[in-house]
Amino acid sequence: MSKIANIRNFSIIAHIDHGKSTLADRILEMTGMITDRAKKDQYLDKMDLERERGITIKAQTVRIPYTAPDGQKYILNLIDTPGHVDFTYEVSRSLAACEGALLVVDATQGVEAQTLANVYLALDNDLEVVPVLNKIDLPSAEPERIAREIEDIIGLDCSNPLMVSAKSGLNVQRVIDAVVELLPPPKGDPDAPLKALIFDSWYDSYQGVVVLFRIIDGTIKKGDTIKIFSTGKRFEVTRLGAFMPEAMDIKTMGAGEVGFLCASMKELGDAPVGDTITLADNPVDAPYPGFKPVKAMVFSGLYPIEPSEYETLKNALEKLQLNDAAFSFEPETSQALGFGFRCGFLGLLHIEIIQERLEREFEAKLITTAPSVIYQVDTVGGETMTIDNPSKLPDPTKIAAIREPFVRLEIHVPNEFVGSVLALCEEKRGLQKNMAYITPTRVVITYEMPFAEVMYDFFDKLKSSTRGYASLDYELIDYRQADLVRLDILINGDPVDAFSCIVHRENSARTGRSLALKLKRSIPRQMFEVVIQAAIGNKIIARERNAPFRKDVTAKCYGGDISRKRKLLEKQKEGKKRMRRMGNVEIPQEAFLSVLKADED
Amino acid sequence: MGRIYGEDVPTRPAFPDAMGKGAGRKSPGRKGSGDPEGAPPADHDKGLLLYIHVPFCRSRCHYCTFHSQAFNQVTFAWYHKLLLEEIKLWGARLKGPKLRTIYFGGGTPSLIPLTQLAQIMQALDKAFVLGPAMEVTLEANPDSATDVSYFRALLSMGINRLSLGVQSLSDAHLHALGRPHSAAMAHAAFTSARQAGFGNIGLDFIWGLPGQRLKGWIDQLTVVTSMRPEHISAYNLTLEPDTPMTALCAEGGPLTLPPDKEQGRMFVYGAEYLESMGYMHYEVSNFARMGFVSAHNSGYWSGADYLGLGPSAVSTIGRRRFENPRYMDEYDAYVRGGLVGREHETLTDADLLRELVMLSLRTAKGLDLKEFRKRAGFDMVKRHERLIAALHRENLVRINHGFLRLTKNGMLVSNVIIRRLAFDEE
Repeated sequence: MSKIANIRNFSIIAHIDHGKSTLADRILEMTGMITDRAKKDQYLDKMDLERERGITIKAQTVRIPYTAPDGQKYILNLIDTPGHVDFTYEVSRSLAACEGALLVVDATQGVEAQTLANVYLALDNDLEVVPVLNKIDLPSAEPERIAREIEDIIGLDCSNPLMVSAKSGLNVQRVIDAVVELLPPPKGDPDAPLKALIFDSWYDSYQGVVVLFRIIDGTIKKGDTIKIFSTGKRFEVTRLGAFMPEAMDIKTMGAGEVGFLCASMKELGDAPVGDTITLADNPVDAPYPGFKPVKAMVFSGLYPIEPSEYETLKNALEKLQLNDAAFSFEPETSQALGFGFRCGFLGLLHIEIIQERLEREFEAKLITTAPSVIYQVDTVGGETMTIDNPSKLPDPTKIAAIREPFVRLEIHVPNEFVGSVLALCEEKRGLQKNMAYITPTRVVITYEMPFAEVMYDFFDKLKSSTRGYASLDYELIDYRQADLVRLDILINGDPVDAFSCIVHRENSARTGRSLALKLKRSIPRQMFEVVIQAAIGNKIIARERNAPFRKDVTAKCYGGDISRKRKLLEKQKEGKKRMRRMGNVEIPQEAFLSVLKADED
Repeated sequence: MGRIYGEDVPTRPAFPDAMGKGAGRKSPGRKGSGDPEGAPPADHDKGLLLYIHVPFCRSRCHYCTFHSQAFNQVTFAWYHKLLLEEIKLWGARLKGPKLRTIYFGGGTPSLIPLTQLAQIMQALDKAFVLGPAMEVTLEANPDSATDVSYFRALLSMGINRLSLGVQSLSDAHLHALGRPHSAAMAHAAFTSARQAGFGNIGLDFIWGLPGQRLKGWIDQLTVVTSMRPEHISAYNLTLEPDTPMTALCAEGGPLTLPPDKEQGRMFVYGAEYLESMGYMHYEVSNFARMGFVSAHNSGYWSGADYLGLGPSAVSTIGRRRFENPRYMDEYDAYVRGGLVGREHETLTDADLLRELVMLSLRTAKGLDLKEFRKRAGFDMVKRHERLIAALHRENLVRINHGFLRLTKNGMLVSNVIIRRLAFDEE
């Protein structure tokens, strides 16, 4: 058990590409945690996918034993966090496990919106935040300007900032010193009943569920019978330890410590993120506050490109679900796409990540349909239904009322952008609730808004209208009645259920026109004319047309050309596999995706 | 069969009976023996098509990706020796089967000196059985073949069909294409060949050239038809990757191709015009007067076995497909290393069926639906009912007398129609 005063729990907050992983690498290197540098760059980003996208999906924690120049021995726990608004809750739990955070800002670029959201989360969790200016060795670095910006925008003291180059290692030692000197040690009572916060968990095929936890109070040891607060389920701790960065067993861990445990848990639901672990025979009275069971907020259809790959896709989804409590799925059928699954996600990025993981790790070939939120529908018969698939919306004559989910949005923004943020929120059917200056230049704007509007392209638009300086957080508050209608898309007269969406009547004409245009652009010209129509009920509200192409002919096909020509057509056929055929029109997968994309204007 | 080289070969070959469009015509002759793996796709008893690739050109044309190199005596002598050897090896390997046609293509076969050409013909005669009055074609370029005595010599060795690479009758277009000859030279070559006694001459053209419009193309066809060649090939200019033409026509480049709509009109109206002048549109890019359909090329489209000799040539015998190495040094190793006819790709039933559809639909005759059903085990029209109905509605296909055919508009988009019919399951 480590001395609580010599523990430092911290995370690194940074925008993508601002050098979080590089700095983490350098810290691990200078503290002797990674010796074989040739192994992998960016140790903390486990999955290939994460390395490529430059984001971290699953938090990972490294326990770093460190001896300070004065001879004092410390345990530094570096807690990694995912970085997108879809994962706000997961981030907040990771931050709750820390006392401090390093805010890494690219000295050539400055503070960005995504960073801000997490900085505010950190400040909300009462973390000590230490600014670090990175890439200081680049000619275009402007440390003075960026330091001023950090003071202005966030209100952090930046009079004497840490100026480093994570890449070259310049001043990284000073960062480690700052972690030890500036960040507070944890508080907690090792003799109190066990109270440990679960801030991450994942499924491992050998160990079952691996739980990452932070002990608030109390002590845990291998062989203890633990109880999960929300479910009351009991488990025996079969393995206890920390990642250094490889898993190392530790017999006993006390207040303030961060580690992992395995306890023969079969599914992620056995150890929900944010929940509290206590001891079965000496339970704590109250859990660590802030637990929210994760719930899918956005639903989308996933369909195999080849109908024969349905079972394969199902297996892949089952495996993914083992590792992602926020992801759910059940079978559904689409006229256009055949047999597939309706899947639940946290948000749009979550959809993209799941889709990429399916394609990469499971080699599944997919078509993803436009995402939808969950609607509540009262029928004239007095029934209430929940609808997560627009094509399942009953006929308008059978609907008494439709309610849609509303979220409360909190937007932090420099005051110069207030005007454009308000305009955007109004355009998105938002209701302004509050606007407050936290500093003379910083404003918090609170809005209530239909979640469907936020999910669609709000985040992108917010970013572009504030040059990236706004940060956004949202939570679901309630369901409210609205004048909603289903917008259908017809291709050559046939409705394509996978393109249907539920929109506000006021916006239906605009959305219809924009959808039809996007489809026109993403459906290539073919040998038949393609007419794309947007309709509400029987009323056509938009129409676009792709003329057939005129010429696609091979001039010569003699003895020496035959194989090549056949193979070319076979290859083209492979390429067309991502196409779905509606009548005689081939619709590429991009068309289904284009519906998700924000307008270009 | 030595009479092929006799001085007394008729100068006007008795074509109509040999070349007829008649698919049902049975020639006597014995069964092709070159099919060790059985399952011959179609009419085998008529013998092999024989193709000889001549990989030499005087200069490289701007649009061309064909395998060819600059002509020089040393390389040619090397090639010639290997070719004679390859002829011998194949003849022995296949036990001297009967040939249906011979075709010298390239490259520029008219660059072959007459003595060596005669030796090739002799070697063929020795290694294979040559039919009487069989079609023997040589591709000639107007720049390397202009005088009457040359053409007489060709006839004397049994070459009875010429395919003249005219490409265009506009000097400006010839220049843009990088052709080493003028329109006048093309006229001169044609006239000399006729004087020498060639009774079966095909002229090759390329259309859809930068700056060309419908009117210019039809005007050119008017001149061409007034020359009364027996055969006309009209190929759409294809921009192949890594050719100067492709670079010139790239966006922002000095040349611009006519828009697709205009090219579509050039194809359809051009074909209709040629038909009105007595040239049957018997394949996407080929037109012939009655009785002068190319037997060799039609053989490919009907799935006949063919033997290709020379670098990069391809052979298909039954299910076996052979491909010769492209470059002279590899070709040398292949011929002298005893590799001739050793390595091949085996075509599956599905491959053969796809090629049947792909090739049949290029022809005016179309796809024999009964034959298809027999080989595929299912009915093409039923399987693709909705698609074929739509294609029919759009006037892109027709079905008559058990044959599925593409209309001219259908031919213009034949790649995608073929892909959908032959390669898609539904």
